[in-house]
Amino acid sequence: MKNISNYVQHAKRKVLIVEDEVINQQILSFILEKEYDVLLAGNGQEALDILKAQYKEISLVLLDLVMPVMDGFEVLKRIEDDSLLKRVPVIVLTSDKSAEIESLKLGAQDFIVKPYDMPEVILARIRRSIMLAEETNLIIKTQKDDLTGLFTKKYFYEYIHEFDALNSNELMDAISINIKRFHIFNEMYGHELGDRLLVNVAKALKDLTHTIDGIVARVGSDTFFLYIASQDNYQFLIDDVLRPAYKSIGKDIEVEFRIGINKYANKDDSIEKRFDHAVRASTEDKHSFENTIIYYDEQMHNKEMYYDKLLYHFEIALKDKEFKLYLQPKFEIQGDKPVLSSAEALVRWVHPEYGMISPGVFVPLFEENGLVRKLDYFVWNEVGRAINEWKTKYGVSLPVSINVSRVDLLDEELFNHLSQMIDGNNISISDVYLEITESAYSDEPKLIVDRVTELSNRGFLIEMDDFGSGYSSLGMVTSLPIDVLKIDMSFVRNMLTSLKDKKMVEIIIEIANFLKLKTIAEGVENKEQLDSLKEMGCDIVQGYYMSKPISVEEFTEKYIKTKE
Amino acid sequence: MTVEQLKALGCNTSEGLQRCMNNESFYLMLVNKFIATTDLSKLEDALNNGDLDTAFKEAHSLKGVCGNLSLTPMFNVLVEMVEPLRAKVVMDYSPLFNEFKRLFSELKSL
Repeated sequence: MKNISNYVQHAKRKVLIVEDEVINQQILSFILEKEYDVLLAGNGQEALDILKAQYKEISLVLLDLVMPVMDGFEVLKRIEDDSLLKRVPVIVLTSDKSAEIESLKLGAQDFIVKPYDMPEVILARIRRSIMLAEETNLIIKTQKDDLTGLFTKKYFYEYIHEFDALNSNELMDAISINIKRFHIFNEMYGHELGDRLLVNVAKALKDLTHTIDGIVARVGSDTFFLYIASQDNYQFLIDDVLRPAYKSIGKDIEVEFRIGINKYANKDDSIEKRFDHAVRASTEDKHSFENTIIYYDEQMHNKEMYYDKLLYHFEIALKDKEFKLYLQPKFEIQGDKPVLSSAEALVRWVHPEYGMISPGVFVPLFEENGLVRKLDYFVWNEVGRAINEWKTKYGVSLPVSINVSRVDLLDEELFNHLSQMIDGNNISISDVYLEITESAYSDEPKLIVDRVTELSNRGFLIEMDDFGSGYSSLGMVTSLPIDVLKIDMSFVRNMLTSLKDKKMVEIIIEIANFLKLKTIAEGVENKEQLDSLKEMGCDIVQGYYMSKPISVEEFTEKYIKTKE
Repeated sequence: MTVEQLKALGCNTSEGLQRCMNNESFYLMLVNKFIATTDLSKLEDALNNGDLDTAFKEAHSLKGVCGNLSLTPMFNVLVEMVEPLRAKVVMDYSPLFNEFKRLFSELKSL
């Protein structure tokens, strides 16, 4: 009884009456309206439309069975098939005994006979149904994802424990399924359709586990985990499960999936680890626009172990100065002879076990987990020290560009970190140029614009790195206070053999001229490229033809002492 | 029209009233609305044309309303009609329908 009194104290709930006879509608409304907000639908189709729009607010449906347009049985089926609508309890209104059994089978919670029972009886049955449903939904809510009705990660893992205990001999695969570019899908088609897509994919995967032993969960906005009895081939996942699921949203849309499979997932590994491996496999193809099915294999395992070791070793490497500052000189080329104008700071890792490790390996790794900031600070400080040494020992001033990564740019303390480095080494802002990559801009344009503007206002010269390689837009060039455009080296490398790349270089130089920015060409490897760039009006070059990146000691020897 | 008159016709008015939360004017309003909006020609045509499907739907909804308003004599006739119609039994429905029509005009004349 306590429950009922609690229940009544709560705010008015909404009840949808679906009944084609106006007089019956009126009688029911009259009985309900003191306790409930009443919505009315005259047939099944209307009822579904109202439900789809307002299922979150509707606490109960009173459903007549015999109606024009769409009858009550059809409505029950549609509700039962829809994980969102399913939460709303339905009481069937009927005068026919045989229909009662049929409607209970179809998911109705209760029925009210016609002619109607006394109002008290009707109200009591409605109250009870709503209460039961709300309690059930509360339990479901903590275990299941609101949108799709699939398990949440926590419960999914718990159910796997139970499953493994009961089926210890079954070979299982851990699978991660991710919808490619889902955020773009949402932007293009709207969140409502995005939700439908998720719901349909969820349902298709859930149905699959009715035919093949397995459990499924939604673990991220667009990622599903599947723990399933091992299959020889998973092409069917795309052809027979996922494609029909997205085709059924009724639009001419193509959706691609990224599937990572940890086959025969080792039951000695923790469940988290089994799925980490599946996720790891799925991310192997970051850039493919097609459906991909990738198996976690030994090579990936070794690579992962290697990365783990590198990460684990990072702090020691910093302390022991295993990271080395390398510098690559840049030259002004518009005069008679190339003239050294500045240098770019790069980093190398001389690992005690693995030897020289390319930044292409460790920088992306450190970017993933934020360690890159510590590495950047280290490099910046090394740069500051070198500049100071050149000035004090040899009386030479040469600016050096340092890379400011996306993570650095998101840090509101960025300017303070930079000034600490500058003051700490007793050098000035004009000694240091900042290179930012254009991909940073595409993630958080407004924030990046604000941050870069601040740096520019404080006096830093800003170079836009890798220009033309990614999501360059003219909007970006004009909204960011850039001083220099660095032409992506892929264009320079191919400009003598590919007309398209040559044209690209010309266009970038034209844009730069128009905006009164300087241009730097990276990756210059031979005299022909140099001559051609000079002719096109490029200001500065950098590349193996002039000098590869060399250690700071060698650089000092070669370029600073000679300038003395 | 009064509740007494309906009662005299054999309607179980106390049940009908209870269903309307004992609100007499609401109850009578609904009965009047039933009289004003009911079109018997649909059921009649369907029966004449042997369209048992439509006849069932018509009779079924009339039964529902008469039941809820406790128009007992009419409800009883409709119960007799609806079950064979649901089973698509081909028979002569005119005696039942004519009886219903008579009861309906009796109600109308109040």
